Amino acid sequence: MPSITIENLTFSYPDCSSPALYEVNLTIEAGEFIVITGATGAGKSTLLRCINGVIPHFQPGTLQGNVWLDRATPSGRVPVARVSAPQLARFIGSVFDDPEGQIVSPIVEEEIAFGLENTGVDPAQMDDRIAKALADCGISHLRHRATSSLSGGQKQRVAIAAVLALAPKILVLDEPTSELDPDGTEAVLKVLFELNKNHGITIIIAEQKVTLLAPLCDRLVLLEKGRIALQGPPRKVFMHPYIFAKLGVELPAPARLAHALVQAGVLPPLDSPDAPPIPLTVEEAFTLSRQLL
Amino acid sequence: MPAKLTGRPLIEVRQLKHIYRSGGEALKGIALTIDAGEMIAVVGRNGAGKTTLTKHFNGLLRPTTGTVLLDGQDTAKLPVAQLARTVGYVFQNPDHQIFHERLFDEIAFGPRNLGLRGDELTTRVDSALKAVDLTDYRDRDPGELSRGQRKRAALASVLAMETAVIILDEPTSGQDYQESEQIMAILQELNRRGHTIIFITHDMELVQEHACRVLLIDDGKLVIDSPPRELFRQEQALTSAGLRLPPTAELEQRLAAFGIHSDAGTVEALAASIARRSSQITARDSFKENCSGGAAACQ
Repeated sequence: MPSITIENLTFSYPDCSSPALYEVNLTIEAGEFIVITGATGAGKSTLLRCINGVIPHFQPGTLQGNVWLDRATPSGRVPVARVSAPQLARFIGSVFDDPEGQIVSPIVEEEIAFGLENTGVDPAQMDDRIAKALADCGISHLRHRATSSLSGGQKQRVAIAAVLALAPKILVLDEPTSELDPDGTEAVLKVLFELNKNHGITIIIAEQKVTLLAPLCDRLVLLEKGRIALQGPPRKVFMHPYIFAKLGVELPAPARLAHALVQAGVLPPLDSPDAPPIPLTVEEAFTLSRQLL
Repeated sequence: MPAKLTGRPLIEVRQLKHIYRSGGEALKGIALTIDAGEMIAVVGRNGAGKTTLTKHFNGLLRPTTGTVLLDGQDTAKLPVAQLARTVGYVFQNPDHQIFHERLFDEIAFGPRNLGLRGDELTTRVDSALKAVDLTDYRDRDPGELSRGQRKRAALASVLAMETAVIILDEPTSGQDYQESEQIMAILQELNRRGHTIIFITHDMELVQEHACRVLLIDDGKLVIDSPPRELFRQEQALTSAGLRLPPTAELEQRLAAFGIHSDAGTVEALAASIARRSSQITARDSFKENCSGGAAACQ
């Protein structure tokens, strides 16, 4: 069942001669884990803003086409542009690259309560909602901590918990790990993976580096100058190293190894029927190499 | 402007401790020397003390105890303005250093303070803008730039100073692959011309490809000071400091037990080694199959 249907979406920022997005068509199923990638300026953030309603609700510009949300209101399928911002906030949660920029409260539990209060959640329910959101993000122990004392990875999980408390069906994240260290990155990605697998939350994430996300996601969407250049499951899109090179997106090392093994003459072409699947992790790349020895 | 070859280290850190006013001991006694012309990566988890350490190299922070010598002179006794002529610092967050309303003026700020004027100033600024691919934005407000572009603007403002030492706090975070490669190419070129480059990063592939030496900081201490390849052999130390091996190094280590070696640290070198090993095995197996002496004679 589609959760989001994007139809012929074109968007231009004011005073810009070329559109940031051009005739984009994309259907996202409920419960999918989607990674949107591409070089700077390819339109990743703009596409996310069209999905979470920042465009057109807060960002001026010229919008054509539609982003349809399924079941965002009791009346069924509606365009994002016609759902009010508070209504959208309950349906789609947004997390940005800089956790500092979105945390407003001095104490973690107040940060989680902030969104609940703003959307008029019954105070009697609040305690449970806060506890559950923190538990789902693996940070129950941080509930009474000062937000200023947290590491980047902890802050980003607080930011995710704050939007999660509103029980969204969809999470939209713009480079949520770009400022985090490897431990923090791993913790945040683990939370996203579990929210997707255990709670069926649709995850849409924009990211420059896809190495860590490839094994977690269902589909990769590569953007080039506002258009979709390539999309599909990671093992399918990684068949096209030249497109990655052309778009300025790094192909992850395990996939590069598979292509190098073809070049070295020990693997058949990766699109041939007897070729092994392209490895996504170091573990898979190791197993593949091991089989050749 | 490479540093003079004096025979002494360019930067010498002796028993450096730093305690913040809040009481946190960020550096717990660090000793190291850096020679002119090195290209060094500083790694470690968030909060390990990487930024605190490097801010001592240009006097942004002063030691609580211990000393930091720059070209033999105690930085505690040098004015910040003088340190700034030798050591440039690019902050992690570009918004901590950008304050002009026109990009040209932002980049020109440092060189103007050095006394540059007229054509000399313009040339200096324009070549810095060109290096970071922001020439088209020369007369725009830096506030209109994307975060990635503002990061490159901050880098340009330090490049324009042409300092002997350039320190960068996570120069590639928020940059796409090509921009990262471009930034690292600029730094490599500066290093080749004699500049000392010190960069903080979480990206181990960047360390593997671009650093000659890596400093692993954990909990305010210098845990490892070695070439990247040696650091990658100490996986335990890396993971306990919150870091991970780059994928190619991890693969290489796991395949080493099967006779696979790649000194270049690239997947292409790994694949070539796997192909060689695989053909040796095939040759041995076919010899065994065709051997009339029986399997035992062939072992």
